Amino acid sequence: MSMDTTPREIVEPSNEDTEFVFFSGKGGVGKSTVSCATATWLADNDYETLLVTTDPAPNLSDIFGQGIGHEVTAIEGIENLSAIEIDPDTAAEEYRQETIEPMRQLLDDEQIETVEEQLNSPCVEEIAAFDNFVDFMDSPDYDVVVFDTAPTGHTIRLMELPSDWNAELEKGGSTCIGPAASMEDKKIQYERAIDTLQDDERTSFAFVGKPEDSSLDEIERSGADLGELGIESQLLVINGYLPESVCEDPFFKGKREDERAAIERAKAEFDADAMATYPLQPGEIAGLDLLSDVAGVIYDGEEPTVDVGSATDVETDQSVDTDALADPASIADRVTPGAETRYLFFTGKGGVGKSTIAAASATKLAEAGYETLVVTTDPAAHLEDIFGEPVGHEPTSVGQANLDAARIDQEKALDEYRTQVLDHVTEMYEDKEDTEIDVEAAIANVEEELESPCAEEMAALEKFVSYFQADGYDVVVFDTAPTGHTLRLLELPSDWKGFMDLGSLTKGAAPAKGDKYDEVIETMQNPEKSSFAFVMYPEYTPMMEAYRAAEDLNDQVGIETAFVVANYLLPTEYGNNAFFANRRAQQEKYLGEIKDRFETPLMCAPLRQDEPVGLEELSAFGDEIAGLSDIPEREPEVTVS
Amino acid sequence: MTKLTLYEEAMCCSTGVCGPDPDDELVEVSAALDQLEAEFDIEVSRANMQHDIDQFLETQRIADLVDEHGPSILPIMVLDDEIIAKSAYLSYDELAAEIREKQNAPQEA
Repeated sequence: MSMDTTPREIVEPSNEDTEFVFFSGKGGVGKSTVSCATATWLADNDYETLLVTTDPAPNLSDIFGQGIGHEVTAIEGIENLSAIEIDPDTAAEEYRQETIEPMRQLLDDEQIETVEEQLNSPCVEEIAAFDNFVDFMDSPDYDVVVFDTAPTGHTIRLMELPSDWNAELEKGGSTCIGPAASMEDKKIQYERAIDTLQDDERTSFAFVGKPEDSSLDEIERSGADLGELGIESQLLVINGYLPESVCEDPFFKGKREDERAAIERAKAEFDADAMATYPLQPGEIAGLDLLSDVAGVIYDGEEPTVDVGSATDVETDQSVDTDALADPASIADRVTPGAETRYLFFTGKGGVGKSTIAAASATKLAEAGYETLVVTTDPAAHLEDIFGEPVGHEPTSVGQANLDAARIDQEKALDEYRTQVLDHVTEMYEDKEDTEIDVEAAIANVEEELESPCAEEMAALEKFVSYFQADGYDVVVFDTAPTGHTLRLLELPSDWKGFMDLGSLTKGAAPAKGDKYDEVIETMQNPEKSSFAFVMYPEYTPMMEAYRAAEDLNDQVGIETAFVVANYLLPTEYGNNAFFANRRAQQEKYLGEIKDRFETPLMCAPLRQDEPVGLEELSAFGDEIAGLSDIPEREPEVTVS
Repeated sequence: MTKLTLYEEAMCCSTGVCGPDPDDELVEVSAALDQLEAEFDIEVSRANMQHDIDQFLETQRIADLVDEHGPSILPIMVLDDEIIAKSAYLSYDELAAEIREKQNAPQEA
């Protein structure tokens, strides 16, 4: 990394034009904290500043101690600072209602309902989300606009209007992102927004992450994704390292050393112009004093203040007895296969440790005698590192009896999907010998369509679905499940079919594939066959993100959460000081909240000094997780004579 | 210039390449329209209910048809002022024939 730029130079407006600062990073890494600190610091330095959050569960109100909401609101006590909270769900709903309103003149309620259902597509959500950025990218009243979230490479590519969409616009058809007519205006707006995003004089992209390899890997991937679109990552903030003075035993000393190594690695490898670090605090970061401490460290090179000796700031009546929360029998029941194959999904944001939990669960199931397949759909795919064995696109053994592992190779999956679609289209034309249509041009057309990001998503889903047909396993464990949004894509064809059945477009013979997807969704909805587990660590943002994803899954696809995994619980035998007492009390408070919100059994997994690697360590880790150590042995096969 | 207008149901992508299966019919229509535009002196426009509801409302004839029959009357294909198809897409061959007929017909005074 070339460190010739300071964080300060990156976020300060360089000229008369409004500067845009985007903070990107997974939930729970302190992105809101850093955004608020940055915005406050800019305002303190006399820049007219607007802070925009599109977090569905924003905690700006907690941080600033005042209500904000979806109107631009002046922050009390800080001159030059305003903030706004945009709820992406509301934005998407508004977009939908605007679209539907004029149709009411022509369609009856039932017909409107069908259209409404259709507009409930992931594409619409993504467009509405991008619109939120675009709306604020023309804000001449401010010197600087700070966003506590950033568009992903996926979204930007979707919005870049590929050439085929431009052609579609000229023809007046419709594209995933909207009607041709209104797109003409939007097109200019989107193009301008993307130009601004790519202009590093006007726009700064910053990443916030934890001092952990998995967090940094994730950032590197997102950064590379943006890099391909001509967007440079300028600032990396590593947040939440363990302060030296509180690490008094080998457990935490070891953790701290690993963190130092990760930070060194980031310095050496990550291609950003500048980097800053901030320590973990004993409690949550709220209030202006702490914000100004964060900003002082990042932008003014000051030393951080960590008040390690303070008494617990979590009231004791909020803390809960963790042992009483765990429910081993229910967990065991929900992971163990019955007469039919069980599908076990571990889902959650990056960095919550779901691959390790999935691998440990698979190991324990295999040890109990069940034929087990563990599959990762994660592009990071570190199952290989976890098992210490090669893991490929097709299931192979990882050394333990009854246990196979596989990972979805995105490129291969995309190739398979492309070939399949093109074969299908070619075949379709072969059946129509009497036409004068230029088949080659038609196929080329489709080929171009397949360059869209939607195709990638579909390809991954296709592969995912294929594992539902993997024979011979008692249990299939997925690390990373598709989200409610993605599953909506699978549901769409059946909705589409329903819509067609209203009478008009005959889609031809009912596609066999549509039925296949319906079957997959039914399997996932059936608690006797499938269990969805959300993995998180007990803090505010990870909990809220998981909760929202769980609700999404339920609302959009009708899948209920089977259980929740609370990971990285601080051990009681180490960290015997006020700092960790505070951290522990905070975890307990959120464990109670998780239990109340999700109303499902809780699987509790401890923080380990090192992530388990290899079967032996995975097995030992599994023994420490209430529920996994209680899996009943598979009953011997009954042979019919 | 001859104008070919399609009034279609609410849909995400009129290209048909969206979702797990390509929509055969839409793929065909898109390809057919591209080719017709290249081969004939015509102007093609597509209006779907989700995105271009205004065009439905502004065209009384179309609005009346949808109002009366519901969206099952769609797609409607209009060549200049003549409705050439209801509740169905015409194929490339059929469209080409319609256009030839229209363009070879003597101009009305």
